[in-house]
Amino acid sequence: MSWFTRLRNSVLPQRMDNDLLEEIRDHIDRRESDLRASGLSEYEARRQAVLAFGSVANVRAESRATKLWANCEGTIQDTRYAWRGLVRNPAFTITAVLSLGLAIGANAAIYALVDAVVLRPLPVPSPDRLFTLEVRGQTPSGSPTSSENAAFSFPLYTALNSAADGSARIALFGSPSRVDVQGSDAEAAPDAALQQFVSVTAFDVIGVAPEVGQFFSTAEDQATSPRAVVILSYDFWRRRYGADSAVVGKPLVFGGKRHEIIGVARAGFTGVEAGKYIDVWLPITLADPGLLAQPEARAFQLLGRLSHGITREYLSARLQPVFRQHQVERSATKTATEKRELITTSLEALPGANGLASFRRTWLLPLMTLLGIAVGVLLIACSNVASLLLARASARSSEIALRAALGAGRTRLVRQILLESVLVAVLATSLGWLTSRVLAPMLVSLTSSQGDPIRLNLSSDARVLLFCAGICALAAFMSGALPAWRATGVHQTSMRSYMYEHAGRLRLGRTVVGAQVAFAFCLVVWGAGFALSLRTLTSVDAGFDATGVVVMTVANDLGPQQRALQLSLMQQLQARSASLPGSQAAATAWMPMFSGGRRAERVVLPGRAPSARGETFYRVSPGFLATLHTPLLSGRDLLATDDDTEPVATIVNRTFAVRYFGTESAIGREFQRVDGARHRIVGISGDARFEDLKGGAEAIAYMPMKPPRWFTMYVRSTRDAASVAQMVQREARALGSGLRVTGVTTVSELVDSTMRRERLLAGIGGVFAFLGLVLAAIGLFGLFSYSVARRTKELGIRSALGAARMNLLRLIFKDEMVVIAGGLVAGLAVAFSFVRVVRSLLFGTQLADPAVIATALGVFVAAAMIACVIPALRATTIDPILALRRES
Amino acid sequence: MPPANSAQTALDMLVLTILSRRGPSHGYGIANAIQDLSKDALRIDEGSLYPALHRMEEAGWIAAEWTVTENKRRARLYHLSKAGATQLEAERERWTVFSGAVARVLRYA
Repeated sequence: MSWFTRLRNSVLPQRMDNDLLEEIRDHIDRRESDLRASGLSEYEARRQAVLAFGSVANVRAESRATKLWANCEGTIQDTRYAWRGLVRNPAFTITAVLSLGLAIGANAAIYALVDAVVLRPLPVPSPDRLFTLEVRGQTPSGSPTSSENAAFSFPLYTALNSAADGSARIALFGSPSRVDVQGSDAEAAPDAALQQFVSVTAFDVIGVAPEVGQFFSTAEDQATSPRAVVILSYDFWRRRYGADSAVVGKPLVFGGKRHEIIGVARAGFTGVEAGKYIDVWLPITLADPGLLAQPEARAFQLLGRLSHGITREYLSARLQPVFRQHQVERSATKTATEKRELITTSLEALPGANGLASFRRTWLLPLMTLLGIAVGVLLIACSNVASLLLARASARSSEIALRAALGAGRTRLVRQILLESVLVAVLATSLGWLTSRVLAPMLVSLTSSQGDPIRLNLSSDARVLLFCAGICALAAFMSGALPAWRATGVHQTSMRSYMYEHAGRLRLGRTVVGAQVAFAFCLVVWGAGFALSLRTLTSVDAGFDATGVVVMTVANDLGPQQRALQLSLMQQLQARSASLPGSQAAATAWMPMFSGGRRAERVVLPGRAPSARGETFYRVSPGFLATLHTPLLSGRDLLATDDDTEPVATIVNRTFAVRYFGTESAIGREFQRVDGARHRIVGISGDARFEDLKGGAEAIAYMPMKPPRWFTMYVRSTRDAASVAQMVQREARALGSGLRVTGVTTVSELVDSTMRRERLLAGIGGVFAFLGLVLAAIGLFGLFSYSVARRTKELGIRSALGAARMNLLRLIFKDEMVVIAGGLVAGLAVAFSFVRVVRSLLFGTQLADPAVIATALGVFVAAAMIACVIPALRATTIDPILALRRES
Repeated sequence: MPPANSAQTALDMLVLTILSRRGPSHGYGIANAIQDLSKDALRIDEGSLYPALHRMEEAGWIAAEWTVTENKRRARLYHLSKAGATQLEAERERWTVFSGAVARVLRYA
């Protein structure tokens, strides 16, 4: 029999069944006529023919089973049946699919992010042979961030690359930065682009081919005056040039320089780091030669490719001597402690299939935490659906008992009930999938900002689909297995022991709800922890008033020989900006605060060794402190006449003064930088933050502006950022010399950008915790309603005998409180068992913090009360007469 | 595949043999033949023949088609297929070996 016939038999069993019946009828008829021919009466012949044949039903069932395609028909039949069941109970179906769908959507969305950030390998051939290099055992002074371990200087890169020789090739990547690019037409609006310096052989090493044109040639390396060339990303090429192959040879102007486009990288390659879509790549030869010669300028990350048959361990060992040598040379000018630190470090080659790790490092833990929370929500949703199914199954217990009595096997019954949960899970997964497609980009935008855009490849790959299928199966099993097992397990007893059945269901329901309470409470504790830590963070006194301060990056086209003109233009623009309508004050400075960059200098006091930590030195114009509303505690502000003539007039903040002079009145005192420049303190300001809000108080030295090619303009205004920028831009253009505003943001946005992680965790964690809470409350409500309904008669009797309302309430609550309390304790235990994981994600708060526990408990008890009080009140207001009359 | 000496295999062998010796037949004919030939010793529920027929049809040993018989009734005629003939040959050989072995043991043990 062909598979087609079998399939047809499965889908349309009617026809096959008819054939079967006809064949059987034919047999019996023949036997009957033979028997009549031998002289039996019509009735007797018929009777004996049927007797001789045996059970028609058995033959039918057996033959059907053989003729069908591997139980296919049974499954299709059961699916149809389950579908009808779902359609008949829209309330159940909608509740189940919606709650499960939301939970699955949350999981799928977060998993899509995890996939894009952590799991997706670079789209290059054999990514498993890629490796990254990191320094182990280093405790860098200043802020000990682990990403510093992956930072290398150019001289070290060259040394390592030549030491690797035949066993590997190493590529170098600078940190991506934003530039405004323009075509040859200077009038056209500039495009914002992300640029990155790479070693000349980078594309070759990681295995990316050009889509159009060519990549950097090694000739670039040797040239004394390197050609200004640039490679575009496929994405940028399509966006800006409409994928025109004639782009090769065209100029692209940025950073005040004309670059020739020589090629476009292959489609799909967006850079070597998740989250960053690079638009233009520049050869490292174009970078500042001073930077490249500096062994202390650790500004690059390394990604290499192993040759065939070489292991990462071998490579680490091979590079070790060169690295050691380099560190020893570096330590020559260092203090004894630093020397020890440098010499004890070692180099390690790590897997690099996913590219560079710095972005991954920042987001891995928060994402995994969110995924954990999402799985918690899913489990809660599953147990809700499970208890709904349980209720349905017990309502259908007589039907199931009847089926069992008619000979249905247990597997068949289990399958039938499981199919219902599978159907629900499949529907929910489809819904969840759609939800995640919307949710995932929203999550990304929550972490992205204009100044530091994050883009992720959220397209679904096999892993994401597999995850969804897995989640779907998990949901189906978690919500269906227990009800199915339970419903079919009691079928023999359920007919005669109705009460036993209900007691069992209640007990099971309590267990499920207890687990639900535990999960939900755990989520609420975390949610409260994240929310409180965001609140603590936002209430940190930054030392300035961020509202209403617009931050603009201003650039000009003047060279270094025109410093005087640059300075005067800058001062004029500052004065004009301060007198714009709505403006209250304006000031200029170097790089904007909270932008990740800072100039760190060690402080040398007369007769003492340089300070261990590097303090922030910030060049600002007069009026900077006033513009940001940072108080000047004593002394004077910087003057327009102050410049870099030593001793440099400097304002230090209180922390600086106390840290180095032990007093808040350090005016007139002097200190030096490591390079020998002398500073004299002319004023003391209040403390203000510069890097982030999470660390302790920062010591900052404000020194006079030196006009660079670009600077930052702060304007305090009552108008909105865009119109302020427009007005400043008009003034800048009027001043000429290519003076222009290239980037606009606000201090509030800059401060916010340092809190993205907390915002994401508090926002999403909070939403998930709330979702879990609502689901758990629904579960509690269901359990309570059921247990009260079951005891209606008992309560009626008690009430008729004169039980006070409070006593009845106590009676009802007694049992359920045990469930809730047990769940709370378990939830707390689970929450704390992960304390190590989430500790680093919390700021100024701990899970064990009474505030966190109290908040969580308060929220939870309130939700539980709402869920319990309604059924309880209904129970105590029962009319005894009605209750007694009711059958139950 | 059932064990070589199960009742199911025996029934299969009977059916295949009958079809190969007597040509195409309907289920009723096969059932009668089994009873006649075995002198009622192999009395089976007539009905249980059909699942076996359908199983063999499934396995491809026999094929069936609807025909209209002499007295204008529709009947399902089974006939041996090529695969069935091979199967019968193999089974018969196995049966001979098996029954020979049993006979030897009975005689000489």
